[in-house]
Amino acid sequence: MSRVYGEPIEVWVRGDKPARFVWRGRLYTVLVVLEHWVVSREWWQQQSPDPRAPAEHEFWRVEATPGQSIPAATYELRRDAATDRWLLARVWD
Amino acid sequence: MARPDWAADFVHLHVASSYSLRYGASSPAALARRAAELGMPALALTDRDGLYGAVKHAVACKEAGIDPILGADMALVDDADIPRGGGGAPWPGGGASRAGVGAPWPGGGAPWPGAGARAGDVVGEGPAVAAAMRGPARLRTDDAPRITLLAVGARGWASLCRLVSAAHQAGERGAPVVTPNLIADHAESLVVLLGPDSDVGRAIAARRPDLAATALAHWRERAEPVIEVVDHLGAGETFRAARMARLAHESGIPAVLTNAVRYLDPADAPVAQVLDSARRMMPLARQRRADLAGRGHLASGEEMGHVAARIGVSPDRMLASTAELARRCALDPRLDMGIGGRFMPETVGDSFALVRARCEEGLNRRFPRARSRARRMDARHRLDHELAIIAKTGLASYFLTVADVAESIRGEGIRCSIRGSGAGCLVNYLLGISGIDPLEHDLIMERFLSERRRNLPDIDLDVESARRLDAYRVIFGTYGEERVACVSMMETYRARSAIRDVGTAVGLAPHEVDAVAKSFPHIRAAHIRGALAELPELRTSGLAGPQLAEVFSLAERLDGLPRHVAMHPCGVVLSDTRLLDRTPVETSIDGFPLSQFDKDDVETAGMIKLDVLGVRMQSAIAYTLAEIERATGDRVDIDAIDHHDEPTFEMIRSARTLGCFQIESPGQRELVGKLLPRDIGDLIVDISLFRPGPVNSDMVTPYLEIRHGLRQASVPHADLIAALWETGGVVIFHEQVLRVIDTMTGCGLSEAELVRRQLSEESAREEVAEWFTRTASARGYDRAVVDRVWEVLAAFGAFGFCKAHAAAFAIPTYQSAWLKRHYPAAFYAGVLTHDPGMYPKRVIVGDARLFGVPVLPIDVNASAADWRVEGVGAAEVPAGVTGGPSAGVTGGPSAGVTGAPSAGAPGGPSAGAPEGLAGPAGPTGMTEGLRAGLKEVKGISEAEVERIAAGQPYTSLRDFWERAGTSRPVTERLVLVGAFDSLYPGGSRNAQDAGEVEVVRGAGAARGAEADRRAEAAGGAEEPFLRAGAERTGSGQPGPAQAGRVSRRDLLARVKVLDRSRKSPRAPSARGDRPAHSQHFTHSDHVNHHKSDADMVRTHEMTPERAVGHPAEPGPQPGQLSEPDQMQLDLGSSSGDGFADMVPAGGLRELTAPERVEAELEILGIDLSQHVLSFYEELMTELGVVRSRNLRRCHPGQRVLVAGVKVATQTPAIRSGQRIIFVTLDDATGPVDLAFFESVQDRCAARVFGSWLLVVRGRLRKVGNSVSVNGIECWDLAGLADIRAAHGVGAARAAMAAGDVAAAGRVPGSGTGGTQGPQPARIVYANGFTLSPYAEAGAPGGEVKDAPRKLWHASPGSSGGWARSAP
Repeated sequence: MSRVYGEPIEVWVRGDKPARFVWRGRLYTVLVVLEHWVVSREWWQQQSPDPRAPAEHEFWRVEATPGQSIPAATYELRRDAATDRWLLARVWD
Repeated sequence: MARPDWAADFVHLHVASSYSLRYGASSPAALARRAAELGMPALALTDRDGLYGAVKHAVACKEAGIDPILGADMALVDDADIPRGGGGAPWPGGGASRAGVGAPWPGGGAPWPGAGARAGDVVGEGPAVAAAMRGPARLRTDDAPRITLLAVGARGWASLCRLVSAAHQAGERGAPVVTPNLIADHAESLVVLLGPDSDVGRAIAARRPDLAATALAHWRERAEPVIEVVDHLGAGETFRAARMARLAHESGIPAVLTNAVRYLDPADAPVAQVLDSARRMMPLARQRRADLAGRGHLASGEEMGHVAARIGVSPDRMLASTAELARRCALDPRLDMGIGGRFMPETVGDSFALVRARCEEGLNRRFPRARSRARRMDARHRLDHELAIIAKTGLASYFLTVADVAESIRGEGIRCSIRGSGAGCLVNYLLGISGIDPLEHDLIMERFLSERRRNLPDIDLDVESARRLDAYRVIFGTYGEERVACVSMMETYRARSAIRDVGTAVGLAPHEVDAVAKSFPHIRAAHIRGALAELPELRTSGLAGPQLAEVFSLAERLDGLPRHVAMHPCGVVLSDTRLLDRTPVETSIDGFPLSQFDKDDVETAGMIKLDVLGVRMQSAIAYTLAEIERATGDRVDIDAIDHHDEPTFEMIRSARTLGCFQIESPGQRELVGKLLPRDIGDLIVDISLFRPGPVNSDMVTPYLEIRHGLRQASVPHADLIAALWETGGVVIFHEQVLRVIDTMTGCGLSEAELVRRQLSEESAREEVAEWFTRTASARGYDRAVVDRVWEVLAAFGAFGFCKAHAAAFAIPTYQSAWLKRHYPAAFYAGVLTHDPGMYPKRVIVGDARLFGVPVLPIDVNASAADWRVEGVGAAEVPAGVTGGPSAGVTGGPSAGVTGAPSAGAPGGPSAGAPEGLAGPAGPTGMTEGLRAGLKEVKGISEAEVERIAAGQPYTSLRDFWERAGTSRPVTERLVLVGAFDSLYPGGSRNAQDAGEVEVVRGAGAARGAEADRRAEAAGGAEEPFLRAGAERTGSGQPGPAQAGRVSRRDLLARVKVLDRSRKSPRAPSARGDRPAHSQHFTHSDHVNHHKSDADMVRTHEMTPERAVGHPAEPGPQPGQLSEPDQMQLDLGSSSGDGFADMVPAGGLRELTAPERVEAELEILGIDLSQHVLSFYEELMTELGVVRSRNLRRCHPGQRVLVAGVKVATQTPAIRSGQRIIFVTLDDATGPVDLAFFESVQDRCAARVFGSWLLVVRGRLRKVGNSVSVNGIECWDLAGLADIRAAHGVGAARAAMAAGDVAAAGRVPGSGTGGTQGPQPARIVYANGFTLSPYAEAGAPGGEVKDAPRKLWHASPGSSGGWARSAP
């Protein structure tokens, strides 16, 4: 079962990939990147479409754990390329 | 072993450029440059559906220093889906079998599950639904699987060309398809890339490795497959890429990595998205998400390395395979593609010997020794010189081929003449390619062909436009499809089309998109925002707001992208039998094989390009000659007429040259009026001067001053007299530049031609100047002389005109003027039939009237398909045709067949032809009139025209209806324009009375149908038709004047009856309670089953009840019975119209004069019976409008008021770099030429472009024989007439003073002293020549030439608009 969150998180990146992130005060370590994809913004849906800003959303689906003894779960992180802000999009646990 | 640096070696093998129509967003040149910048050794171009960009890619790669690779990305269908015989035959079984993606392999029959979902563009709908929504099944959809083919070496390039040609044969037009078998047939040296969109890729995506393996096995049997791995980082895409790579690994097939490139940078993705939307004809909001990753850019090798690593399945091996395949596919443009070679049709024997022999033969024919030894000597000398150059350049077979083509075209009876610099070549004259003797006009060959030029010279042939395709057929017949193809051209995105596609993509409503697009002139898309800021008519439009800003900015990025392949209007390419190994061909709309290369590409690829241009004037001349022969029996050999005919030159000098080739435009009429040509040589000068270059560098004034003796001719040095004497020392021709350079430096004419070409190149100029000064000084010329000559060369050299080209133009110019002068009726028939000029046909008709040629209406018995000459006896000229009783047709050439242009024109009959210009009388005192052709009727089909002509003569409307079988709307249109008047004489003439009633009230009273209905609904007692009708038929009995006369309204009613009887033949006949022949015509007939032109004449008026003033009275009356829906005709029982008693003759009022003209404009676009302006005579007199024929008598600088119908607007390039709007008005006495400068455009531009009838105040300008007016203020004439009709002429004057009379619905401009906008940008050339970027852009709104096909007074709300704004 996955749950949808959409909460802001803080992410540390190593070599283009998310390595660790903090969610609700807990530090998670990324064990493996399962999947990575991008979706470009639908600029034409905006009030005044501006195709010059090629903003996109970057999705990372990772396995991560908040501690060595705790079993890993799957987390989907989303980065807004224009603002460099991260969200926790979904969690499978 | 060092690990190779894959990043440095990466080559993109799958790249779509902008030549992938509505798909790729970047040009081949930009892609090649970028690839080189990224350090890649090669770049592939694999455009979709064709090789349109292949040659450009090869050239661009060469310039960028990398190797080109070529391929094509093609749609794949099953072999069973291709109709046998190919060529887009309709698919017999419907689309069921192709609704899905369709596995192309036998056995793989069931569409794979995942692929099915991809087939529908429409989100949430299955493929079957989507297919159903698209209407008739097409052989392929936008979502058909695609594969990419790469060529290996010369053999591979030939296979690729032939496969692409075959794919176009197999598919429908514009939608080529390949099949597995087609590929197998052309598999030699081709590599098949199977990517994510291939059948294999889709099976993998659908997690059907079994199907993928089967498909791959099939490919291996037929060709050399390679797996293409792509990862754009879409959701799940990396996994799919990995599965593809694994499949390759398992099958032992190489896998290569590509980025399926569509654009240069990620930022270009929105452009590609708009193109997707345009291609699928669907707004972006309805597209699939999958297309939106936005990563199809020309990524660097490093980025691609990351992609390979991310996919993770043997990345090194994949990159190595990619580099290896790139190495194999790299092409040598010269060896593999033949670029820079020369491939001419094979000739039998020694082609040079043949050329020499045929030239000797020509020499004896054209320059017989007996006539002039001196000329013969000159010609012999010149021939030897030219042949030497031909021998050196090895072009003998080229000349033979062209001579052969010209001869075969003429053999079919098609007029064919040379154009361009080729006219300067004696060999062309002797071989019969050209009819111009270069020695007579002092033309030189080197401008055409010099031994120093590598590329093939251009020989351009002009043929009759109407027979251009016949000429092509002749060429195909002579050389065969294996050696000939037509040349294509790309139509590209410009402002209007770009705005349309972007607007639609972002989801604007269609009518909004249309309105916004149409408000722009025909400019480049890149200039959209500039135009918005700078053009007065756009600045006031309110489009510059923020809502559309992004649409415009994106539309500008589409600038210049190709969007359609079209047949080039004149290019034909010839080669040897291996043509189809070197260029792919598709089929044009006309069914001709069409090379996918454009005119530059075919030359680059070493084929002969012939320009066979259809020239309407050649068709008009051919038609004129045929008409002369048909009407008079005279056979005029137009190519042998005397070139010194004084009456012809007299006419040209008077600037009465409408309809003539090259010299009819306002600017040219002004120039011939100033230059006053005396011979062909003067016409050559005239044509050369009337070019942007000469006009802008002001060569015209000094030349004219010297010519007219106002200035001393001077030549910098006596040695130059030979070169410059003909133009009084002014350099006008390229040929003179060559001679001057040759004289001063002794470099020879061939070298001089190269120097001349460099004069226009900024970069080379200094070097050339240095060389010229040094060489000329070394030959002993004084430094001051050298400097002066160089100044002249530098100033004019680049802008001069090729004299040979002008000479080639001058001949048809003179011929057309000669025909106009001596056979005016036949000439007008030719011009009106083939429409070669810039003016609407109604202007030519008006000119015919001014030249005393009676214009006769369309007549079902007298009219042919086209315009004809028809003898008219004096008594026969219908009054309505020539324009009124004053138009005495007295016969005899000098007495003047006056044909006054309009009844009641204040000027009286003197408006006729000027002395000596009247049309000649035909034999037996008959005048030659001009009969309008049936084809002019709006909406008439060719079959209808043929049937009408074949069935002539007709005895009655019914006879016509039964035998000509025209549709009801067309028959009604024929009735409305009076085509039956001669069968029912009297009708139209009686109408004069009714017409006058309204003419008195002015045109403002004659409103459109809509206004009438409104007036009537309001109980308008002023309703003119009602009143006129009541006056004459108020008693219910036709007045004596009407008795027995059938009006056009009567005929319309009869058409209606006939139409019903056709629809329900033999409706239950003769019920017992009715007299056998009594016909029923009821009030309920108002119900119009189709909308037809009769709606113009209000339907309710066509019923007898209405006309006699008893609209609702029940009960039978003579000639009418009322019983709803009882309509029957006893068609079999009587001859003649058979129903005359049912629609009694004269029962319905005749059309009034304004109604007739309105109908003519609507249906023919020509006011045939009288000039539109004749309805405004009174108003114009009251306002003090000066007519065209009287303008000459005004003083220069005088303020005048002029008026007329707008017949031309131009915004050409002019000297100061301003955009000047040139407008020509036709005021029934001749043209009025106007110029609106930028200072007045803020208040005038919108109205000038928006109104059809204009009143203009301006200042008179006079130069030589020509008169023009600089506009200061302008108003809409119809609007003024409305105001006058409603409130009197005082109100009209007041409105003019207020500056606010616009045409319908327009917001009045900012009025006098309006705001000045920013100064428009200028394009400034090195020599100071400035140009407005909007010059030559055409007018916003519709084409002026087509404008009149609408009601001239259809200005709904114009008077109301004024009433609101009036104080």
